[in-house]
Amino acid sequence: METFHYKQTANKMKKIKYNILVLLGFLVLASNVTAQNMSDMCINEFLVTNTDDFVNDFGHRTGWVELFNTSYGTVNIGGCYITNDPNNLTKYVIQRGDELTKIKPRQHILFWADGEPHRGTFHLNFTLKESKEIILVSSDGKTIIDRVEIPHDLLSENVSYGRIKDGVTVMATKENQDVESTWAILDKTSPSTNNYGLDQVQPGVALKKVDPYGVIMAITAMSVVFLSLILLYFVFKGTGKYSIKKRRERAILASSDGNTQGGEHCDTPGEVYAAIATALHMHFQDDEFHDIESTILTIDKVTRNYSPWSSKIHTLRETPNRK
Amino acid sequence: MENKGILSLLTENLQVFLQYTGFANATLGHIVMILLGLLFIYLAIKKDWEPLLLIPIGFGMLVGNIPLFEGLQIGVYEEGSVLNILYHGVQKGWYPPLIFLGIGAMTDFSSLISNPKLLLIGAAAQFGIFGAYAIALLVGFGPTEAGAIGIIGGADGPTAIFLASRLAPDLLGAIAVSAYSYMALVPVIQPPIMRLLTTNKERLIKMKATRAVSQTEKKLFPIIGFLLTAFIVPTGIPLLGMLFFGNLLKESGVTRRLAETARGPLIDVVTILIGLTVGCSTQADKFLQLTSIYIFIIGAGSFIIATTTGVLFVKLFNTVLKDDNKINPLIGNSGVSAVPDAARVSHTIGLEYDNKNFLLMHAMGPNVAGVIGSAVAAGILLGFLT
Repeated sequence: METFHYKQTANKMKKIKYNILVLLGFLVLASNVTAQNMSDMCINEFLVTNTDDFVNDFGHRTGWVELFNTSYGTVNIGGCYITNDPNNLTKYVIQRGDELTKIKPRQHILFWADGEPHRGTFHLNFTLKESKEIILVSSDGKTIIDRVEIPHDLLSENVSYGRIKDGVTVMATKENQDVESTWAILDKTSPSTNNYGLDQVQPGVALKKVDPYGVIMAITAMSVVFLSLILLYFVFKGTGKYSIKKRRERAILASSDGNTQGGEHCDTPGEVYAAIATALHMHFQDDEFHDIESTILTIDKVTRNYSPWSSKIHTLRETPNRK
Repeated sequence: MENKGILSLLTENLQVFLQYTGFANATLGHIVMILLGLLFIYLAIKKDWEPLLLIPIGFGMLVGNIPLFEGLQIGVYEEGSVLNILYHGVQKGWYPPLIFLGIGAMTDFSSLISNPKLLLIGAAAQFGIFGAYAIALLVGFGPTEAGAIGIIGGADGPTAIFLASRLAPDLLGAIAVSAYSYMALVPVIQPPIMRLLTTNKERLIKMKATRAVSQTEKKLFPIIGFLLTAFIVPTGIPLLGMLFFGNLLKESGVTRRLAETARGPLIDVVTILIGLTVGCSTQADKFLQLTSIYIFIIGAGSFIIATTTGVLFVKLFNTVLKDDNKINPLIGNSGVSAVPDAARVSHTIGLEYDNKNFLLMHAMGPNVAGVIGSAVAAGILLGFLT
């Protein structure tokens, strides 16, 4: 008895441990989700020397750093850090609680690198002329989300350096070892707008140019529709055959059982068995009492309270009556 | 003197009040649209044409076409108004997937599972969509607009709304009204085409009785169906996902309450909201344009193409099928996804030629395949054009 009690307690402890583990798992996942949100941000473009480019709200021309939300969800960057010093990752904190720090999907946000943070959330406490790199740090003050070195020797006045395609990092491959192809000197500065694709043609318009009458579209699309449904056809052809085969096997098994049990049941017609089986099937089936027959055999209570939701006279899409 | 002051004040107030009334702001367009709304209501009540759709849409037309003094935050296009908030479900495209959830929960795919080759008829009828797309391009519509108009050929109101909200929001009202109107007219449009394209011998083809489908097959269908179609056309996930999810609720046998809610109160509520707000969106100044007339003409064409290709495909298919496996071409029209109207048309026409030839269950196969096919086609258009 005591051994049994001990086993029960041990089992309970195991369950509790398991539950705690699951809970911890969820917490870790949840924290990752938050981190993942911020990790969707990246440094997208920057301008070091601004003498003839855009002016800020205070009428001054200064360098700037543009961040980009690569995701299709809003990201709040309040609490994150921007720095130019790898030894001081928390140099400039982006204010929390500012509505403007919620960056909409695939949108940009601009920080003026004027060294005058008292001017507002979007004014950094350093300038880019004195910086070697720009680092975007997560709200934990430790995790680096993105960093980019400033190639001072390549950049002249009013020339910005940015990602060729917004938010896209080109990874080095065996064929392409040139990782730097992610970034380039841009033809024109584009603060708070796309670096690439301003003149991009919509896919539909491009399609119309090569397929003005929609013939290619019709052939391609119909092929895809047929392909999808043909795949379904093959799958259900297979499952159907398997199901029929199984049913036959069961029927043979059942009939051989009946033969071995003696001949007393043989006088009962098959229809009786079928009727009993149908009634039992209908009774035990949770849902859908009938799907083909309009009359059903059941041992279940059939009276139903009237409800307009299930009223047959109000069914959807009736055939119009010609009068 | 004082009396004169009060009188002039009253007159001024009355004049201001009159400025706000519908009479002062009425235009010929408003009157035309109100008459159209009344016609929809008449057809629904008197002729029993799709009453569950035409009554909300027809009344919505009345609501949306009461001439308004703009700026009072009442109109469907005025941001923040009650109607505008309800219209968000159409604009953002979240009503159609909810309707698909309900359709999935009320659809029995047994006839399709028992005879899966009927799936191909559902695919063939989607030619209506791409035929209409080509016609719309020829008429001069842009590619995205042509795609949105083409989907009318799928004969599926929710899919048409879903795609139009993504591809051509400006044409949404005309496309939705056109799609629903032609769905109501399926019993009028399809029979002449079916009669024209079939011979008497073909109409008398008796199809093999469908086999009983096991519960396991029914449970597997939504899971496999979703995975296969969604992997091929991920852009169709909102519609396909909800359709198959609803069907799994029905067939799993353990979520009866959820299935009943999805196919009952939920779909009814969404049908009311989608019908009313689509009707409201036909505000005269937005709706009464030449483009709307083109959309209605192309829409009719798309239904004709869909029916024709469905019937012709069955005839073609029969050339490779054994005699005992032949399909009655009268079910070819059911490849469009107007469930169950198109299947009913097949059944009725079949009975006209042989009163012992019951085609309803056979026609339900291509009919539900049409629902899947049109959702896949919508996904393809979305993927290609955006």
